Amino acid sequence: MSGKPGYHGVILNIDLSTGKSEKVVVPPEDLDNFVGGQGLGMKILWDRLKKPGVNPLSPDNPLMFMPGPFSGLPVPSSSRTCVVTKSPITSPVKSDYPHASTVSYSNIGGFFGPEIRFAGYDGIVITGKATELCYVVIDDGKVEIRDAKKFRGMRTDAFDKAILSELGDRRFKTVYIGPAGENLVPYSSILHTAGRAAGRGGVGCVMGSKNLKAIAVKGSGQPDVADHKRFLAAIEKARLALRNSAFAKAMAEQGTARAIVGNSNAGTEAVRNYREGTFPEADKISGDAARRDVWVKDIACYCCPLACKKSGVTRGKYGGIVHDGPEYETGVMLGSNLLISDMPGLLKAIYTLDDLGLDQISTGNVIGFLMEAYEKGLIDRNFLDGIDLKWGNVDATLAMIEKIAARDGVGDLAAQGVRALSRQIGQRSEKFAIHVKGHELAAHNIQANQPRGLSYATAQRGACHMSGDNIAMQNKRAMLDSIGLCLFPTFEPKLEEPMLSLLSAITGREYDKAEFEKTGERIFNLEKMFNYREGFRREDDRLPDRFFEDAFTIGPKKGSVLDRNQFDAMLTQYYKDRGWDTETTKPGKLKLKELGLDSI
Amino acid sequence: MDREKKETDRSNKGTNFTRREFIKGIGIGGGAVVLFGQFGVHGLAWALSGDPQLKMVLVDYAKCTGCRTCEAACSSRNRPVSIDHQELPGLGNPRYANIRVHSFNPDVDVPSVCAMCADTPCVKACPVDPDSKTGRRALYRDQATHTIYNDPGRCIGCRSCAKACAGQRTGVIIPNPATGKPERMCTLCGGDPQCVKRCPFGALSYVEVRRDRKFYGLGPEKIAAELGKSWYGIADFGGIK
Repeated sequence: MSGKPGYHGVILNIDLSTGKSEKVVVPPEDLDNFVGGQGLGMKILWDRLKKPGVNPLSPDNPLMFMPGPFSGLPVPSSSRTCVVTKSPITSPVKSDYPHASTVSYSNIGGFFGPEIRFAGYDGIVITGKATELCYVVIDDGKVEIRDAKKFRGMRTDAFDKAILSELGDRRFKTVYIGPAGENLVPYSSILHTAGRAAGRGGVGCVMGSKNLKAIAVKGSGQPDVADHKRFLAAIEKARLALRNSAFAKAMAEQGTARAIVGNSNAGTEAVRNYREGTFPEADKISGDAARRDVWVKDIACYCCPLACKKSGVTRGKYGGIVHDGPEYETGVMLGSNLLISDMPGLLKAIYTLDDLGLDQISTGNVIGFLMEAYEKGLIDRNFLDGIDLKWGNVDATLAMIEKIAARDGVGDLAAQGVRALSRQIGQRSEKFAIHVKGHELAAHNIQANQPRGLSYATAQRGACHMSGDNIAMQNKRAMLDSIGLCLFPTFEPKLEEPMLSLLSAITGREYDKAEFEKTGERIFNLEKMFNYREGFRREDDRLPDRFFEDAFTIGPKKGSVLDRNQFDAMLTQYYKDRGWDTETTKPGKLKLKELGLDSI
Repeated sequence: MDREKKETDRSNKGTNFTRREFIKGIGIGGGAVVLFGQFGVHGLAWALSGDPQLKMVLVDYAKCTGCRTCEAACSSRNRPVSIDHQELPGLGNPRYANIRVHSFNPDVDVPSVCAMCADTPCVKACPVDPDSKTGRRALYRDQATHTIYNDPGRCIGCRSCAKACAGQRTGVIIPNPATGKPERMCTLCGGDPQCVKRCPFGALSYVEVRRDRKFYGLGPEKIAAELGKSWYGIADFGGIK
């Protein structure tokens, strides 16, 4: 143990090849410099993968579940765990290494991260590969690898019940993959509580490559804090800030789904494979509609007063239980992006994706691409194994989802993502293959939102809507993903001061706004160093041609399109401000020295 | 100590009233169903009941989001720490919470807390001979607070109280894994239950109740099955007892 307050000072390392697990002490300076969560995960990734080009699906690639210093303490909204690994999805235009790819991070709410800390660890690092499908049980200090062959192919909803039934104790918190992850679909997700996902960046595929079906954690301990009195005072302030927050109330009311109508009206929604920014039928899949017709209950993550998650039930042909949704991302990617406005059908698609363990965003994006290619006659029904994949067709969408998860027929190609599909189809289809570095874009459209375009282009896991629209936001969010706090409550400006005070009180290290962002900048730059070493350059920070060529034809932002020169100029300025080379994007020596990254 | 106002009252502003009222009606724990919506739980008096009137923590299951803030609040109060010779609230490790949220799939969350049973099956199960002066067994009900206490000096760790609670009522009493002595009896925080005060969603109330309430003294699985049937048309939660 390091004895550093706010931390246990150890991660749990589990090598599935040997079956051995051990507590590994984290160097105290790493906790100071990289904090936890995404940051500490990236430092471990950097340390473990000393050379570029490691195959992300090889036993060498570590898969990490990283809570932060807030996790396990009753700080409002401190539920997040960051899954960190090397991406099985991305690749650069050119590289000397066949398996070159970016870092990957994917954030998940719920109860898993806090439970890791209750069990006595600041993170779980999985390496190696089991010979047969297995799952890991962690009960405080006791670690056990168990056979999971009987669970092979089991969908996540059924598995969520089955594993707790087998463990016989509902206090275990579990994460697991579905059939898609077992089948190594690159954009597979990792599920928690059947309705929460670390969706992006292919983390479920890496888990599948290790023959790891699930991890169950239960713990009884808790890390200490550096300044108990200050912690109590700051937590009171944080609660107060959120109690009186109009934003927090809005999240409780509709979750992120409230943006489905809002962004459509603003012309910033992904509609018809990003062809448009406004969906005339947005109200049919909106938070209002869901509240009226679907939702039974609001659901919150650990100690969160926002409760942005919902559960409900639909009836009719596509009827069934709804674990979540529509959220903004799921509702748009499977709704407006595919011109689906049938609420039960939309929710059936969302449920099925979670059930199979597929990323909602990438899958919605892939199906949107195929619908457009089909409409344009670039592919025929034969190519689609007989599926009539027309805009708005729910049955066809569900059929395609099943094929992707099973990697059956056309699903095997579709599972490789829009970039692979467009290479196969050709005929200039790459223009509307909506990805950056091979990672599909999310539900925010950008013809009328250039800053979000910068987020997509420069984010470290490939296209990412969460990374931030400018340098300050990117740095701040890298940090949020590292402390274990959710992004959403931080939209309440009054939370900032208590948040900084809490981090200082927990770790005993004084954080003001500048130090907070500086630490985030260090994390972001370490990720850039990793990606640069793999071979990613400026040519990889490019957006699909659609955004520069296809102006919106409807909605309030009709006529909007990005200007290539303007966007390039913005990128150049971005690299300059970052202290990176504007041609190669290599982080400059001065910047690395300033951040203390020159020595690693 | 004066009872402080609950942290928030997220009533159903802006939601579809009819549907929410319907759901809420199913979700409240008990005979309060009819009256709750109109008068509020705090106004309820159970003058008709012949049972002793006991104040306890009442749950509105439709409002519970499963966030477990109540667990942290309970633990923080009931597991204080001593710093510079001063007793301060603890860090809220849920391991030491007397209220526990049981979460199910599909989503039903059941905070489970001592039912303050008038007939105290846990106390009756205690095999320790009553003390000649106080008449108390090792496990006893405090006459002032009506909460259940255990005298660890006399407790033999036989787990009978936990078995009685699990068999007949909520099952909140859990024997300490090492000593077998009972834990997690609600203290009501000296009349100011922190779970009620801290719940961000107004799902908990501190009220007088009578034991013919709908969910009175039921274990979380039974409550979840009932709610699951009402909300989702399903009572199967994967078979964990």
